[in-house]
Amino acid sequence: MDNLWKNTDKLFFKVNPSLKFLCFALLFIVYLFVHNLNTIIWAAVAFTFLYTWAAGISNKISFWFFLTTFIVSFFSASAMILYGKGTHILFHWYLIQISEESLARGILLGLRTFVFGLISMLFASTTPPVPFFYSLMQQLKIPVRYAYGCLAAFRMLPIMAEELVHIRQAMKVRGLTRKKGFGAFYEQFKRYSLGMLVQSIRRAQRTAVAMEAKRFSMNSERTFYYQIGWSRSDLIFLLIVSVTVVSGFLLSRWIPLTPFSNVIDGY
Amino acid sequence: METKKNYVLNLTDILVTIVVSLVFGLIFRLMGPVYDLLQSFGIQLDALIYGIWFIAGPFTALLIRKPGVAFLAETAAALAEVLFGGSGGIVNLYYGLIQGAFSELIFAVFLYKRFNIGTAMLSGLTASAGSLILDFPLNAFYQMPGWVITLNIIFRFIGALILSGVLPFLLVKALEKTGVTQLVRPVTKEDYDVLNK
Repeated sequence: MDNLWKNTDKLFFKVNPSLKFLCFALLFIVYLFVHNLNTIIWAAVAFTFLYTWAAGISNKISFWFFLTTFIVSFFSASAMILYGKGTHILFHWYLIQISEESLARGILLGLRTFVFGLISMLFASTTPPVPFFYSLMQQLKIPVRYAYGCLAAFRMLPIMAEELVHIRQAMKVRGLTRKKGFGAFYEQFKRYSLGMLVQSIRRAQRTAVAMEAKRFSMNSERTFYYQIGWSRSDLIFLLIVSVTVVSGFLLSRWIPLTPFSNVIDGY
Repeated sequence: METKKNYVLNLTDILVTIVVSLVFGLIFRLMGPVYDLLQSFGIQLDALIYGIWFIAGPFTALLIRKPGVAFLAETAAALAEVLFGGSGGIVNLYYGLIQGAFSELIFAVFLYKRFNIGTAMLSGLTASAGSLILDFPLNAFYQMPGWVITLNIIFRFIGALILSGVLPFLLVKALEKTGVTQLVRPVTKEDYDVLNK
């Protein structure tokens, strides 16, 4: 997990994680109320630039994620494009009825999903869990029990991955993987899920007892090993994100690419 | 003798809930592409497996049997999905909050006394109803023809009943046989009665 973050000296890594989290969560509400196709097109362009500049993963992974998100976003809009309501029919075949309105609406929904995907990849690729949860405790005052619980749980992921491999090897050596049919599938599913769940619960319980003994659940007057504070990067971050968002809105006013300015409720 | 149920979440409950939700978060992340693929052609096949995204709430509620765990589990699983870079993105967190709250509601209505297949199925069903609140504006459902909406809701409810009602119940039943549930459930009066025999 740790080797995912290659160049951690990028700006977005230095931003306060809570600020980044709240800011991105707020963007969701902003774009939920955008019904102008031009705005969402320009927002997608603006966030593409921001993503290529700021994302914290290697270029190769970043490119493939970008491509798959783009394609997948239009899968999610396919129902709207193919069957949506509309009067200016472009194509009609049995139930399929593509109209100008449904096409525009579908593209808006698809691009919106795409923008959300880019935003969350920006977040996920520049936010390691440890500073994130420390920041949640210090800035957002999340009870320490929950935050340390999450941190401990994240550390168990590699052990779980190893366990998964063990179960698979054990099943392979006993010939369980060669059986076919629904019964065999159910048997395998049961063995994987129960094995993983039982071991995780036992391990979590043991860890919790140990953590309780070391006063991890104590609430009053804590000090923190990592002090997450504020810096100049936070200001620059806020500035960059606002420029990205505002430029999307302004460009759609200056250079409207399509005549669809309110695609959700007609136009 | 102290026989009152202890309803406050302690660190063990929280950690077990979060670890289980993290497993579910990983499953959500891996199921994401499958869901996206099923969305193509728009015939709402995706709604059939939507139910898997509600499983964290009912499962942990049946497992730990305390107030708040269903909400915590669903939220934590959604947060994990966001941190793993799931395909829906930051939206998933909002879905998690709403679905968790709706899931929790059913167990609260039964005053945290009934943890059986019925409440699990109801909980999954209300969670899927909760997900509709966000899906309606997000996917502009009201601009769809009637048959798409009907198909989506029927598929979604069927999926929810099976994947987040029956499935978690069967899993917890199987876990009970392994004895691991005794580690995490609050001590009940019956447990004390066993001591007196």
